[in-house]
Amino acid sequence: MANEPVVARIDELKNAFTAGQIDRRQFLKGLVGLGLALPSIGLIVAACSSAASTIAPASTAAPASSVAGATMAAASPAAAAAASVADLTALIAAAKGEGHIYQTGIPPEWVNYQAIFDLWKQDYGVTIDGTATEGEYSSGQELDSIKNTGKPDVGDVGISFAVQAKTDGLSAPYKNSHWADIPATAKDADGFWCCNYWGAQAFVVNTDAVKIPINDWKDLLDPSLKNAVGIDGDPTKANDSFFAVWSAAIANGGGIDNIQPGIDFMNQLQASGNLTAARANDANILSGEVKVAIKWDYLGLAVRDKAAGAPNITVTIPSSGSLASPYADIVAAKAPHPNAAKLWQELIYSDEAQLLFLKGYAHPIRYDALNAAGKIPADLAAKLPSADLYKKVTIVTNIDKITAAKTTLGTGWKIVVNS
Amino acid sequence: MRTPSAGSPAHSPAAAKSRGGRAALGLVPFGLLISLFLLVPTLSLAWGSFHDSKTGALTLANYSYLSHPLDLVPFANSLELSLASTILGSLVGLLIAQAIVSSQRPIIQEIATTFSSVAANFAGVPLAFAFIATLGASGLLTRTLLGAGIDLYGSGFKLYSVVGLTVVYAYWEIPLMVLVMLPPLQAMKPSWREAAEILGASRWQYMRSVAIPVLMTPFISSLLLLYANAFGAYATAYGLTTGFVSLVPIQISNLINGDVNHDPGLADALAVGLAVIMAICIGGRAILERRSTRWLTR
Repeated sequence: MANEPVVARIDELKNAFTAGQIDRRQFLKGLVGLGLALPSIGLIVAACSSAASTIAPASTAAPASSVAGATMAAASPAAAAAASVADLTALIAAAKGEGHIYQTGIPPEWVNYQAIFDLWKQDYGVTIDGTATEGEYSSGQELDSIKNTGKPDVGDVGISFAVQAKTDGLSAPYKNSHWADIPATAKDADGFWCCNYWGAQAFVVNTDAVKIPINDWKDLLDPSLKNAVGIDGDPTKANDSFFAVWSAAIANGGGIDNIQPGIDFMNQLQASGNLTAARANDANILSGEVKVAIKWDYLGLAVRDKAAGAPNITVTIPSSGSLASPYADIVAAKAPHPNAAKLWQELIYSDEAQLLFLKGYAHPIRYDALNAAGKIPADLAAKLPSADLYKKVTIVTNIDKITAAKTTLGTGWKIVVNS
Repeated sequence: MRTPSAGSPAHSPAAAKSRGGRAALGLVPFGLLISLFLLVPTLSLAWGSFHDSKTGALTLANYSYLSHPLDLVPFANSLELSLASTILGSLVGLLIAQAIVSSQRPIIQEIATTFSSVAANFAGVPLAFAFIATLGASGLLTRTLLGAGIDLYGSGFKLYSVVGLTVVYAYWEIPLMVLVMLPPLQAMKPSWREAAEILGASRWQYMRSVAIPVLMTPFISSLLLLYANAFGAYATAYGLTTGFVSLVPIQISNLINGDVNHDPGLADALAVGLAVIMAICIGGRAILERRSTRWLTR
């Protein structure tokens, strides 16, 4: 993104102008100073003017932005960047015109969403609607709400529900401006959903009780770990432990296409006496009942912070790899505030919001891009397992493979439990 | 339905009829409760168990679990756990109840009854957590014993097993036994014993010919109650083992809630199996109750 500094500068100018900190002449002068072609300056100013006056209704703002998009193709690279900014500016204006955004399934305490809400309010001042109960909706309830009430604009759903939303015609296509950064498997080719963050299976180790290094799956079979290793619930019910079993397949000759070696490994762990039936929840990890928990990294990191040294806990990603399950953002097909919904996508995938996810220990979908660009602050990186270990993590988005793995688990797990 | 008015002889058939009618009216809320929370669910279970959950066609396939050894493991585990906890609970509970009655101190009886009522209802996740903190692999008692040279887990004990669950279930089975056996024990009349002694009976003869026959029916009916109670328990076992010990109620819940093994038809069929076992216990208890009340009315 060679144009990034220019884009950032335009953003600054545009914000200052819309906020009334600088006047129109200073704004124009600033834009000319950036070496932009005159036609694109015209577009930016036109878009910002309507933003400043906030009289442009959504219906007129949308065609304006598509005009900007059309001009883009013929313009110079600098003008292309400027045109996309014009797009964004028009979008901001239109969203402000709508004045509201209705969220479902986006609770403030989840993956640092409160900070993202604050950022949204500070940058755009668009009111966030939706009750706390709706914020806590499960993915299935979110889709029901979109279908039956028609109120929500945006939702944060588990990956299989994102795919289902597209199939059921409940989501609308929108490609955010960071689309290229997002791995091909983590987005819908037509833009009907886009993964926003993910969690990967990790080992959460009580280092006060466990004296051997736990780096990979085979370490869990050590005879010193009797009744020590736990998973977070019944894998036929809980997604967390389902992914724990599936991830165990990677080190044992299976993987995303074959969960069976993972089931076999758990059976081996059970036979060795190391697998405990105590659930790897916070209480059992903190009390030392579960000494090595296999669960989502973000939950493990949170419990590590909660323990604050009593006991000492480290979180690591298995060295032969693990699986990650992503969440995805969708724009409701019949969103009452379509521009606010699109602007929410822009915010969610921006550097700032993506780093806020990481601060809440959820790995942002642009993690690799942010890491490669050196945008992850050192103090934050120090709190996480190393970026190298995360390179072995596979994000699972293929619904057919998830269904196949669950079917295999259905019969296979009975043998682990009942033998 | 008319209620028999044998206890209070009616002066005229008409009066009896109207009184019966009013009494029947008073039963309406109870009747509604029973239909909504017992009859309707039971019928819908039975209906669902004979229908394919996807196509809705009439089928016997849901009952094919009866021929799959792996699917019968939950029944075997549940039967074993219920039997073990019933035996443990009933023997210990009976001894405690007898000790309370023999003490002849009303204050002890009151304290014991109050405690038993509380303990018999303390179950579910809080109880599971209390036991994890006490008898878990790093529980207080486990570590204290380890300090004294007794390695519970080293000797093969596990809280998260049928044996462990038996101990946990006994926590409420014992007080339940105390609660249900106290009334019949208290109803044993001292005059029976005196009469037997005057007639020259030994202590053993009194026990064999009077006490045991009279107490046998309440005892067996208590066993059935304890058994049914253990068989249907879910939350404690789930809270403790997250499904690692496969029991019938846990299996049913997996089939309804779980998105991996989702099969409501099979769940219905398992639930019907569970309901049959419960019905045998409760029906048996009802029959026995009727017999024992002949002697043990206070």
